[in-house]
Amino acid sequence: MSMLKATLPSLAFLRSRWLGCPLALMLTSTWALAQDKRWGPGEAASDYGYRFHDLFWLITILVSVAFALVVILLAIPVLRDRERPGHRASFDHGKSLHDKRLTAVISIVIFIILDAWVLVIAMQDLREAHWALPDAEDPQTYRVEVLAQQWAWNFRAPGVDGEFGTADDIITINELVVPKDRPVSFNMSSKDVIHALFLPEMRMKMDVNPGSINKTWFRPITAGDFTILCAELCGFAHYQMSGKLRVLEQGLFNEWEAEASKLASTAFDADDTEAQWAWDWEK
Amino acid sequence: MTSDHIHPEPTTFLKKHVFSVDHKVIAKQFLWFGLVWLGIGGIMAMMLRWQLANPGVPVPLFGKLLFPRTSGVIDPASYNTLFTMHGTIMIFLGLTPAMIGALGNWSIPLMIGARDMIFPTLNMLSFWTMVMGGAVGFYSLFVPLGATEAGWTGYPTLSTTVGGVGQGETLWAIAVFLIGASSIMGGINYITTVIRLRCPGMNWMRLPLTVWGLFLTSILNVLFIPVIGSAMILLVLDRVFGTTFYVPASIMSGGTGGDPILYQHLFWIFGHPEVYILILPAWGVVCDLLSFFARKPAFGYRTSVGAMVAVTVLSAVVYGHHMFTTGLSAMLGESFMLLTMIISVPAEVLFFNWLHTLWKGNLRLTTPMLFAMSVIFVFGLGGLTGIYLATIGTDIFLHDTYFVVGHFHLTMAASALFGTFAAVYFWFPKMFGRMMSERLGKLHFWLSFVPLVIVFCIMFISGYAGMPRRYYDHTSTEYLRPLQHLNVATSVAAFLLGAAQLIFVYNFIKSRWWGEPAPQNPWEVGTLDWTTETPVPYYNFKTIPVVQCGPHEFSNPVLGPDTDWIYQTEKLPG
Amino acid sequence: MRGISWQGLAVSLGALGLLTSLQTSDDENPHARAPRGVSLVVTAGSWLRAPSADWFAKQAKSEPSRFTHDATAAGGVGGWVDSRGEYSLSEVEGEWAYWQWVSPERLTAGRRDFVQFCSSCHGLDGDGYGRSAQHLRPTPRSFQQNKFKFTKVIADLPSDEALMNLIKRGLAGTPMLPWDLSDVQLLDIIQYIKSLSPEESGWRDVYSQVGDPVEVGEDPWADIKERAIARGREVYHGAASCHLCHPGYVTNEQLRVLRKDPEGTVYREDLTYPALKDSEYEVLGRATKVMPPDFTWHQLRAGITTADLFQTIASGIKGTAMPQWKGAIPDEDLWALAHYVEDLIVSYKDQPAVRGAFMKGLRASGDN
Repeated sequence: MSMLKATLPSLAFLRSRWLGCPLALMLTSTWALAQDKRWGPGEAASDYGYRFHDLFWLITILVSVAFALVVILLAIPVLRDRERPGHRASFDHGKSLHDKRLTAVISIVIFIILDAWVLVIAMQDLREAHWALPDAEDPQTYRVEVLAQQWAWNFRAPGVDGEFGTADDIITINELVVPKDRPVSFNMSSKDVIHALFLPEMRMKMDVNPGSINKTWFRPITAGDFTILCAELCGFAHYQMSGKLRVLEQGLFNEWEAEASKLASTAFDADDTEAQWAWDWEK
Repeated sequence: MTSDHIHPEPTTFLKKHVFSVDHKVIAKQFLWFGLVWLGIGGIMAMMLRWQLANPGVPVPLFGKLLFPRTSGVIDPASYNTLFTMHGTIMIFLGLTPAMIGALGNWSIPLMIGARDMIFPTLNMLSFWTMVMGGAVGFYSLFVPLGATEAGWTGYPTLSTTVGGVGQGETLWAIAVFLIGASSIMGGINYITTVIRLRCPGMNWMRLPLTVWGLFLTSILNVLFIPVIGSAMILLVLDRVFGTTFYVPASIMSGGTGGDPILYQHLFWIFGHPEVYILILPAWGVVCDLLSFFARKPAFGYRTSVGAMVAVTVLSAVVYGHHMFTTGLSAMLGESFMLLTMIISVPAEVLFFNWLHTLWKGNLRLTTPMLFAMSVIFVFGLGGLTGIYLATIGTDIFLHDTYFVVGHFHLTMAASALFGTFAAVYFWFPKMFGRMMSERLGKLHFWLSFVPLVIVFCIMFISGYAGMPRRYYDHTSTEYLRPLQHLNVATSVAAFLLGAAQLIFVYNFIKSRWWGEPAPQNPWEVGTLDWTTETPVPYYNFKTIPVVQCGPHEFSNPVLGPDTDWIYQTEKLPG
Repeated sequence: MRGISWQGLAVSLGALGLLTSLQTSDDENPHARAPRGVSLVVTAGSWLRAPSADWFAKQAKSEPSRFTHDATAAGGVGGWVDSRGEYSLSEVEGEWAYWQWVSPERLTAGRRDFVQFCSSCHGLDGDGYGRSAQHLRPTPRSFQQNKFKFTKVIADLPSDEALMNLIKRGLAGTPMLPWDLSDVQLLDIIQYIKSLSPEESGWRDVYSQVGDPVEVGEDPWADIKERAIARGREVYHGAASCHLCHPGYVTNEQLRVLRKDPEGTVYREDLTYPALKDSEYEVLGRATKVMPPDFTWHQLRAGITTADLFQTIASGIKGTAMPQWKGAIPDEDLWALAHYVEDLIVSYKDQPAVRGAFMKGLRASGDN
């Protein structure tokens, strides 16, 4: 306590108008902001979204316990073992066999609890969900091609005929409409620089590279409007490269698709080959 | 090697103060250089935080001067330049010279009992090469289209002419290359010096852990900076000569297609060891300082050395965890995940040793000790949050969000920086012959430590809530607008953190010229650097010392009840 | 220097030369340009057509410090002098035309900002064909055609103010975002864009008209929105015949009754769908067709408030089949149309279930 007293400025100064007012002002203005505040990512709207949630909180619990231990083991010597007359440190190089064994055991135990356990769950998640791309030949799979550019998302859906590269392909900018409860599979590439397709409510993210096609997928389980963000620096308007993801019930989706396909067919110009950027879907 | 051969002292002003080959002068040159650049990088960070908390509001004080065309508001392109240069400056022009350049140059020859580095001229060249790199980087801020905007990672194709045609990016690549060259020169010097110039009796297991940390850092430097050097050369070739190493065929037709992912591999094969390059000296310093100020031996010396060596060896094979979302194959992804988890084990061992060093010690809570202990705290936070990012299941969501920013700032900015502060406060009396103010030092510590933890812990919340990084303005997206309160809170704490550094600047400058004269060994520590006189003569040691015990023989019972330490040159009684 | 391997140096230089020669570029693919050595400096200034005298008089009144009337300009007749540049008068066939002098320094600043912010889509030379414009339909505007769709002006060309408003608000639903740039930056970019007009055309043409955004007067239907919507529906399907290009939002029979056409009149196929129309805009040498928006489906580019809609309808969309309606129908009908379109958007857009039901009702008869 005396150490603290010796180092900190007096409380009077802290309460004085020089420090108190601006501090109080900043603190209150912080809380006065943003009527609806958010502290987390919101409800997951995809079928594998819960996995992120579960894994995150598992790691949080493990990490919190470990960190609490560290803080306690750090605090005890500070409180108990400070230098004072007549007090001497206990001399221990820590190179006895017992110490080395203890270190090894504790390391292995920590590895198993903190790392291996989490690793196993993560590998399961990857194999069962994130990397288990749905079968492109399955008619249930809704396929979408994504062409990212500075600074917009071009989405191409196969339209009612289910084939890419035909007159009824639905091309939208910054807006993606998908059916609920069906896996949505992406083939993505970029026109210019690296972008990343980030669907926060769906807990999905994958880089979009120029010159190659990346694949990812998700299955929405909640209808509604969601967010599309760009998650890889792509230039000065990276922060404006957002879009809207709309998940519709199957019936409404079919209506939407029919309408969009018809409009697309009307606008289709067979001679304008430069506009037709669909690529072959790898089966 | 004739141990008593002493070269004549340099006489001209240039040879004494500018192009000196004395490692101590070079260390001070690196220190001033690094501290100034840390300040510049810090001011850039304050500007970034201002824009994030108050989007579209002109920067106070100097905004109109820096951004005349927008009446003081940081425009989106300048914002990108700011965070790019902030990262580059802090890593390459701030921490590298201050920690590796200054600390390495000062302490290695003194702690191993040598008169100077084994290649003194190369040492001098390494400083001036770094100055050249800094000059090129500084110049890039003033070219017509502005400095680089592609992030400190500089991913193509954004960093090629596809992303921007100015000179800024090219100059940035050249600056990084030059700074890398400087680090390689330094690395060669340190490694060879430690291997060849240890005085009699200084065997590997009696080296202070600071020297071990710097030695291992230098190995990493020498091995991996050539990789980023090659990445930068290819980038410059792409930008200036129109080659297509990183530009894919779909953009440049004509058949010569490159791959932007090539750069990412090259960059991170360097980039991951780089973060260990930055932290290993800090770990070494912390190991030593905890022992010195707990008046106890460093617990598990060999295990600590083994842990640092293990981290060094493993650092190259974990780089893929920066690329989990780029479309790596499943096998590669899982392998990197496993290896990244394995590399956390040596770090855990170090923690165990640190805590055990403090346990039942006789703690002297001086300013260097406070900073050293805080490294345990912030590196614990930072390292443990690395687990979220090592796990691909959570990394998919957290990649490129503020969670990553919080994690690497805690491990790099906080830990390495506080390690640097600890080293500066500790060696200042020997370097400049004066004591720094303890009161101001402790004030600096508390006013830095608390806001720093607040700033980066709030970022964990932001990242968890889905806030992406490198965004100019979060309020323009509906999904992110409700998170603005987190931005404001972070910025408030960040401004406090920034302001607290002024205490350090004041303390450093005041003490340098007007501080209390320092005794020869104020900390009562037995390593060879404290056996010298203050100020240290240009030849360091009149006669090369002979070492008779380890550096951490504190509170050894054979020393008797009156003293708890012994110089390394003395023999343990009994 | 001692120790340098001259052979090594020669080999490295040779390798570098070889690598450089590997650079190929496809001249036929406009996207394959490698922008090396891009010149950022503009050496010559430009005289550009400026808005009318009324505009200056109005500006001078509202910003007296910015403009001064200088009787020495344009041969003693007088012109307005701007604090940043110069404006002057010249007589063209009995009429006075205002010109604006843009200095090389200003054009250089504008070019630098243009290259940094706009060229990725609009191309380094403003031809609408930048690297990011690949495959994009509609294509980004080419500044060499001197035609702009959404600037809401009556004349041929938009004033600086109109262009600035457009860039600041962006075009919803396209990659033309609302750009976060300062007024100074925008004005410089705009002058640069104007200087891209080919010789003797656009802003460099003596006879071109430069206009201000359509003035938005008072809305005569302010408190009687329901009646406005009803009147708008009448005008839409009646006097203005918007259903010829845009969808008709009534059944065939309702349309016939509205238009008071004889029994048995048949209207175009797919009445409730828009009809593709030609435009004067070119892509790769071929004229593009434009889809008139379906207000219940498509995103409107130039704003969806009543005032925005009024302006857009009044000024038309240059270069497309959407004519300038100001003067063709009375202003109060223009406002009614604006209300009607706004009501369509608010009632049906982004509401799939409601819209679906509405359209099904219209198409049930089978004629639409």
